[in-house]
Amino acid sequence: MKLREVTIALSGNPNSGKTTIFNNLTGLHQHVGNYPGVTVEKKTGIIDYKGYRINVIDLPGTYGLTAYSQEEIIARNIIINEAPDIVVDIVDSSNLERNLYLAVQLMELGTPLILVFNMADVALKMGRKVNINQLSGLLGLPIVQTVGSKGAGKEEILKAVIELLGGEKRKKKEIKYGEEIENEILKIISALEKEEIQTFNLGPRWVAVKLLEQDTEIINVIKESAGDRYSEVEKTVNDSISHITTVLGSTPEVIIANARYGFIKGALLGSYEEVESVKLNGSDKADRILANRIFGIPIFLLIMWLVFQLVFSLGKYPVEWLEFGFEKLSVFLTNIIQNDLIRSLLVDGVVGGVGGVITFTPNIIMLFFAIAVLEDSGYMARAAFVMDRIMHKIGLQGKSFIPLIIGFGCTVPAYMGSRILENKQDRLVTMHVNTFMSCGARLPVYILFAGAFFPAYAGNVIFSIYIIGVLVAIIMAKLLRATRFRGESGPFVIEFPAYRMPTLKGVLIHTWERVWEYIKKAGTVILVISIAMWALFTYPMIGNNYSQDYEAQIEEIELLYQSGEITIDDYDNEKSVIEAKMAGERLAYSAAGRIGHFLEPVFRPLGFDWKMAVATIAGIAAKEVIISTMGTLYSIEDAEGQSESLKVALYDNYTPLVGYNFMLFTLLYFPCLAAMAVFRKEAGTKEMLFQMGYTLSLAWAVSFMVFQIGRLFS
Amino acid sequence: MRPWGFRRRVFGHRRFSDAVRAPESNIGYLSMADAVPGKKYTVVGINGGYILNSRLCAMGFVPGETFYISGAFRGGSRCVVIKGTKFAVGRGMAERIQVREI
Repeated sequence: MKLREVTIALSGNPNSGKTTIFNNLTGLHQHVGNYPGVTVEKKTGIIDYKGYRINVIDLPGTYGLTAYSQEEIIARNIIINEAPDIVVDIVDSSNLERNLYLAVQLMELGTPLILVFNMADVALKMGRKVNINQLSGLLGLPIVQTVGSKGAGKEEILKAVIELLGGEKRKKKEIKYGEEIENEILKIISALEKEEIQTFNLGPRWVAVKLLEQDTEIINVIKESAGDRYSEVEKTVNDSISHITTVLGSTPEVIIANARYGFIKGALLGSYEEVESVKLNGSDKADRILANRIFGIPIFLLIMWLVFQLVFSLGKYPVEWLEFGFEKLSVFLTNIIQNDLIRSLLVDGVVGGVGGVITFTPNIIMLFFAIAVLEDSGYMARAAFVMDRIMHKIGLQGKSFIPLIIGFGCTVPAYMGSRILENKQDRLVTMHVNTFMSCGARLPVYILFAGAFFPAYAGNVIFSIYIIGVLVAIIMAKLLRATRFRGESGPFVIEFPAYRMPTLKGVLIHTWERVWEYIKKAGTVILVISIAMWALFTYPMIGNNYSQDYEAQIEEIELLYQSGEITIDDYDNEKSVIEAKMAGERLAYSAAGRIGHFLEPVFRPLGFDWKMAVATIAGIAAKEVIISTMGTLYSIEDAEGQSESLKVALYDNYTPLVGYNFMLFTLLYFPCLAAMAVFRKEAGTKEMLFQMGYTLSLAWAVSFMVFQIGRLFS
Repeated sequence: MRPWGFRRRVFGHRRFSDAVRAPESNIGYLSMADAVPGKKYTVVGINGGYILNSRLCAMGFVPGETFYISGAFRGGSRCVVIKGTKFAVGRGMAERIQVREI
């Protein structure tokens, strides 16, 4: 049987329980993506119900449908452009008046609408009773009552949807804004009609109201379609605005908003009973401590410390198991595959690249679990408020602090964690500076270099790198704010939702959808990049172009061993020295080695040679690869962070100034390809390229200055 | 102190009609940043642009609405309970909202 396709959109205020209802409706049949060109999460899901296939769009949570934020514009545009069959507006029953404001704006749009009075149990406990039938009649809308957090309400909502689809259309209620405004609306409508300006499917009345409200989006749309003809209308609108402002003492958007609340109050009068007065005492007491200006910050830091411990200390174990598993897989593949090239591709390219990304998964699970708990419990809003004053000084906002802290562990979850910032500008600046929060993968590089050049005070040197990273982040945040991301940092108003116990189901769904997205990424883009990086370090192959006849040398020591002149240990040592030399030559011969030579003039002014250039390129794959690459280039077998012979080789070949400078460069240029793939996913190709370009230039400029100035003193 | 005054650049575009309202000049009104816990107030007006006004109205900050302060912070940030919801309002924002004690 063929299912009839319908689309419904869920709208609602932030904290109205909309997400819970969406999860109840669609379960795991969800898809999370981004709206094209913006970094607002787009969630969709599918339900099959009684012969219908219902596509559910979860609109961003908004207070209204003005042009204030990206979220509001998106919500409105979806309703207008994608024209869902029905909009389901989720209303917090314990706060009807404010929640119905959005409902009224939806009514004005003329879209088929169902109201869901959510959390009816909470409202009843607070002593608020609603006469649903009466209110439904007054508003001219079907109303469903649910208890969102308990998983109920799904059936009722779907039933109401089917009923509305089949039933006849109710008569549309029109909201009257009072005589003065209505007169001006008529004037604007006639001006629109006189100039024959299209109002699309929106209706001239709605457009006239939006023009009076000076809705920038709508003005632009009308201007674009009407061109010069708009100027007459504009004059009428401006006259109307100044007339209303003079007569009524307030600007039209405020008067219109008051009229909407008036309509709501009228409808609630008689159908709504408030037995007791508002009670917020419990959360007031908690806020006296959690949002306190003295205790608030230490408490927040303590919670962040716990999150960090959860993500990295506890996450360490599953990460180790995964690493162990991938190592075993590499060994297994090495043993069963005969062909050298295919083996190298699978082991070094695919398993090495994708495995390196998959191993972060436990960290990401923990991080999003922690964030989901903080958000669902209501604490996140308090944290944002507590940190806001400090973060504002550097051009970010309170919540930015969370991804920035996470960045010290790993930049990948940090970029993903930036989603908690609603404002696009804040989010992008936070992501762009997160690079300088030195991640865990860079630490082994610092340990090696600091150990090689400054063994006596390696700890202080490494600490200085971290501090420089934080300082650069602060400077860059200010700089980006003043230049590229000027403007629109939302002035701070944030709702403090009542504290609530997060539900396991909600937290798990939140966590799962983000983790799944990350794994999908690793399976696609990162696979391709890993193979490309592998090719870069493998081709062209050296063939027989080694500088010495290493094969002969190996045969020679083999003979020595067979004749009993050297022991098996000597033989192994000798052989691995020769093999390390071969690996070094192969790398130098490959495209990456050549690029290193080619780029050497660029890196010269920083004091780097071509080997460091190659290591820098390898660091794009993952920063810890820098060490093994340097090891290969210096023909040191099994180079690890603590390799003494590598330290000696570095010490012999570079000055401490160059060593320190290389650490700085490693700190400042963009983290790794996994991080860049996530960056692109979160912010788009353009922003990713900007991130790569500016961090590289910055790394170069800083290293240049440090080397050139440092040289004067040494 | 605002970093390089970026807020002002955004919301600084005042309109001619502000001159009509000019609530700052009205004696007896104060800004939300001066409101204190333990008293009741009503919103008198919002000194923002069209867009900001619409947004604040949608959040429940409409002229005539009563509210109380549940937390006050040095510098002017306020925790406000209005229309049954608690909001944290930053100083910059609180200074734009004119209120009257009742």
